[in-house]
Amino acid sequence: MTWLRVLFSRLAGRGRTPAELAEEMAAHRASLAAEYERRGMTAEAAHAEARRQFAGATQVRELYYEQRRIPLLDNLARDIVYALRQLRASPGFAFAAVLTLALGLGANLAIYRVLDAVLFRELPVRDPGGLVQIQLLEGSDPQRVSYPLFRELAARQQVLDSLFAVSDVGLPAPDGGRGFMVSGAYFRTLGIPAQIGRVFTEEDDRPGAQPVAVLSDSYWTREYARSTSAIGRTLQLNGARAAIIGVAPAGFFGETPGAARDFWVPMSLQPAITPGDRINGAAYSWLSMIGRLRPGVAARQAEAALDPLFREFAHLTVTRFGRDYRVRVAPANRGIGDLDRRFERPLWLLMGMAGLVLVMLCSNLANLLLGRAAVRTHEIGVRLALGAGRWRILRQLLTESLVLCAAGIALAFPLGSRGASALAALASVGTGLRLEAGWHEAIFALAAALACTCMFGLAPAFAATRVDVHSALQSQHRTTAGARRRHFANALVIAQISLSLVLICGAALFARSLWNLRHQDFGMSRDALLVDIPLELTPQAIAHQGALVWPLYERMNLLPGVRSAAVSAFGPMSSLLRTVGISTPERAAQRTDVTRLVCVSPGFFETMGIPMAAGRGITAEDRAGAAPVVVLNQGAARALFGAGSAIGRFVSQKDRYAARDAMQVIGVARDVRFSSAREPFGFVLYVPIAQSPAPVTGIVLRPAGNPAQAAAAARAAVKSVDPNLKIGAIRNYAEAFEGGLGNDKLLAAIAGTFGLLALALCYIGVYGVLSYAVERRTHEIGIRIALGAGRAGIYRMVLGEVSLLMAASLLVGGAGAVAATRALRGMLFGFAAADYTLPLLAAVLLGSAAFAASYLPARRASRLDPVDALRQD
Amino acid sequence: MDNRSEVPYGTLDLMVLKTLDTLGTLHGYGIARRIEQVAEGALELNQGTIYPALLRLEQKGWITSEWGASDNNRRARFYTITRAGRKQLAAEAENWSRTVAMMARMLEGES
Repeated sequence: MTWLRVLFSRLAGRGRTPAELAEEMAAHRASLAAEYERRGMTAEAAHAEARRQFAGATQVRELYYEQRRIPLLDNLARDIVYALRQLRASPGFAFAAVLTLALGLGANLAIYRVLDAVLFRELPVRDPGGLVQIQLLEGSDPQRVSYPLFRELAARQQVLDSLFAVSDVGLPAPDGGRGFMVSGAYFRTLGIPAQIGRVFTEEDDRPGAQPVAVLSDSYWTREYARSTSAIGRTLQLNGARAAIIGVAPAGFFGETPGAARDFWVPMSLQPAITPGDRINGAAYSWLSMIGRLRPGVAARQAEAALDPLFREFAHLTVTRFGRDYRVRVAPANRGIGDLDRRFERPLWLLMGMAGLVLVMLCSNLANLLLGRAAVRTHEIGVRLALGAGRWRILRQLLTESLVLCAAGIALAFPLGSRGASALAALASVGTGLRLEAGWHEAIFALAAALACTCMFGLAPAFAATRVDVHSALQSQHRTTAGARRRHFANALVIAQISLSLVLICGAALFARSLWNLRHQDFGMSRDALLVDIPLELTPQAIAHQGALVWPLYERMNLLPGVRSAAVSAFGPMSSLLRTVGISTPERAAQRTDVTRLVCVSPGFFETMGIPMAAGRGITAEDRAGAAPVVVLNQGAARALFGAGSAIGRFVSQKDRYAARDAMQVIGVARDVRFSSAREPFGFVLYVPIAQSPAPVTGIVLRPAGNPAQAAAAARAAVKSVDPNLKIGAIRNYAEAFEGGLGNDKLLAAIAGTFGLLALALCYIGVYGVLSYAVERRTHEIGIRIALGAGRAGIYRMVLGEVSLLMAASLLVGGAGAVAATRALRGMLFGFAAADYTLPLLAAVLLGSAAFAASYLPARRASRLDPVDALRQD
Repeated sequence: MDNRSEVPYGTLDLMVLKTLDTLGTLHGYGIARRIEQVAEGALELNQGTIYPALLRLEQKGWITSEWGASDNNRRARFYTITRAGRKQLAAEAENWSRTVAMMARMLEGES
C-alpha cells in the first residue's frame, strides 16, 4: 500500500515549496561553512568549500521536483492539450466523430435510463429490500384475496413486522383524480411520513372512524396548487366525504410502478364508496398484500409459517377451482404490478439494438481514424525517428480517442435525458416513473464510453504506430505500411455490413409484424362507431344505466345518418369485462376457460358486422320471459360441442351445469378480436340484454354517411335521453385497436430508426474503405491503365473487391439475421414458422446499397489519368 | 588514487533511516554529518542528494518532519523516523546483511 500513500502525498502536494527548500539547503550550507571555520579555515574558504561539498544545488532541486510530481498525470495533461490541438486542425472530422458518438451513446443512455426505471429501480421508501409481497398461488396464477382473510392473517402472523393490503380498483374523485383504498398499516410499513399534515394509521382504518384521505404530491400540486389550506378540505367519494389530513412526500407514487396514485383512503371506507360490503364479505377477492419481513426471517421461513394460516382461513376467500394453492413470499423491493414483466423484453431488445448501433458507429469511427492514421504516417515517422517511444505515441493517439469520447458523452447526457422521456411517452410506461440519472447510469455511461474508446481507438492506434520509420520518412511507396491496415479496414467493413444486416432485418420484421397486426382479419367490420359509456361501479349508477337500455336503443335507431344501432354491456373494447363460468351437461367449466359474457340488444351482430357462422343472431323476439337463448363464438362452440353442431344445445353460466338456468344456443358468431389485436379469442357468450338485464356500457352505430357527423349526432342524441350521462370516446374499431399496439409501434419505430441508421453507416463505411483503397493504389492502377487495362477492367477490379467483401458480410450477417428472426419470433405477429423472406430482402437491400456506395470510387479509379497517377509521389 | 567510493545505489535511504533510528530527531545537515562520520572518510557523499531521499522517505510515510531551530539558530527541518520506517529498516537491514554475507562467501570461494 506504500505506493498509494506516495500517490496521495504527491496529489496533496506534500513536501516543501521551492522557497522552503532553498531555505533548508541554505541552512545546511551555513552549518557546513561554520564547521569548516571552526576547523580553522577563513570565512571565505569555508564558504567555498561548503558550496563545493554541496554541489549541484540546481540538480538537486530538479531531482526534488521529479520526486514530487505524478508523471502519468503530467503526461496525460500534455497529451490532452496535444490532442485538442490535433482535433482543432481538422474540425470536420472532430465534429462528425463527436456528433456520431453523442447520438450513439445518447440512444444507449436513453434506453438504459428507461430500462433502469422500469426494471431495476427500487421503491422510494424506507429500506425497500425488506418488503415482500404475500401471494396466494393457484397453480402458478396469483389470486387476489378477500378482506376477511387479510384481517385474520394480519392479526395472527408472527413473521412480518407489519402487513397491509391494497386494492387496484380506482376511486374516481369528482375532479378526475384517482384514489385507492389501502389498509391502515400502509404508510407505517413503507416508512412514508407526511410532508405536511399527517398520514393515516391503523387508528383511522377502524369501522366508524372519521373518513380521511392522504394526497400525493403531484395531485396536491395539480388540484390544490400546493396550498396548505388543502388540509381539512374534503373529497366527495360517492357516499363518503373524506377529510384531507396530509400530503405524501414528493417522489412517492405508491406501491405500483407506472401507476401513480392521486390519493389514498383507508380501506374501512369501502362499504360507503363502492358497491357491496367487501370488508365483511368473503365473496370478493380484490386485494394484494405487502409486508415487511421481521429481521432474520427468510422468505422461505415466512412461507412455511404463513401456509397453515392460509389453510385455516381458506374459507374466508374464494378460490374458483379446488383447493390446490400455496403461499408465496416474493420480494417487493421494486413494488408490485406487471410493469417490469410487460416491458422487460421490448426494453432489453431495444438495448441490444442500440448496443449494435453503437458498435457499428465505433467501427465506422475506427475506419475514419485509420484514414487519418494513413495521412499522419509522416508525422508519426518523424516523431519515432526523433526518439519518441512507440508506447508514448500510442498513448497520445488513444488520448485523442478519449477526448473525442469524452466530448461525445458530455453531449450524450442531455440527449439521453430527452430521449428517455420521449421513449417513456412512446412506450406509455405509465405515470410516476422516476427517469433520473442514478449511479447505475453513471457506471453504464463510463463503461460504454471506455468500451467505445477501446473499440474505435485501440486498433487504429496500433496500426498507426506500426510504421517503418525509413519508408515513412521517404513518404513514397505508401503501400508498404498499408497491407495489414487494409486487412483491418476490410474486417471492420465486414463487421459493419453484418451488423447492419441484422439491424435492418430486425427493423423489417417489426414493421411487417405491425402491418400484420393492423391488417389481420379482425372477424368484423372495423368501421362501426363505438360510443363508450363509462360505468361507475355503484348500485345507483348500475340501476340508472340499466334503465337507459331501451330509451337509448330506440333513440339511436331513429337517428338520421345511422344505418343501424345497438347497445351492449361489457362489449368489445369496453374497459369493463365480465367473466363467467360456462358448462354443458357433458362438460363442467375448466380452469383454463376464459369466458366473456356480453349482453346485447337486437341488431348487435349486424351493426358490428360480425357474420354468423351458423344459426341466427339475437333479435327482438328474445325478450324477457321468452325461452333463454345464447349465441356462442366459434371458439366456445368448438370447445364445448366439438365438431357437432352447437345449435339447439344447452349451456349454463355456471361452473357446473344446472338445467334450471340453462340457455339454448341459437347461433354461432365468428371469432372476433375483442379487446386487443393479438390476444387469443377465448370464449364469448352473447346473451340478450332483455333476458339478462345489465347497465349500458356502449353503443355501436353503423353510419350511413360521414362518420364524424354520425358521431356528433349520436352524442347529441345521448344527451337528449339523459343530459347527465357521461360519454367517453367515440371512435371506430380501427382507432380503438391502435391503442393496444403500443409495444409493437414502439419496437417498429425504434427498430426502423436504427435500421435506417445502420443502412447509412454501412453506405459510408463501404464508400470510405473503397475510396481509401483506390487512393492507395493510384500508382498501381495507373500502371495497369498504362499497360492497356480498359476502363471496364478497372471497374471490374474494384467491384470484385466489393463483391468479396459483400459475400463475406452477407454470410456472417445472414447467419445473424436468421438467428435474430428465430429469437424474435415470440414477439412477432403473423409470420409462418420458416418465413425468411424478410432477411433475404434485407440482404438484397444492403447489397444494393453497398454497390451504390462503390460506384463513385470505382468511377474515380477508371478515370485515372495514367500519366498523373504515375507522377504522383 | 582516491579510495573513497560513491554511495552504492539504493543504500542512501537505508543509511538515512539507520541514522534517524540511532540518533532520534535530526536535521538534514546532522544526518549528512553522521553518515560521513560513520563512513570515516570512505564515502563520497554529495550532501545535497540527501534531500530528495528525505522527501522520498517522507512520502512513503517512513519518516516525518517539522520545522525547528538549528544549532546556529537558523530555521531547519527536523526529521524523525516513524514506526513504519523502523519496520522497513529492520526488513532492509536483514536483506542487506544477507546480501553481504552471500557476496562475501562468493568472493572467498572465487579467490
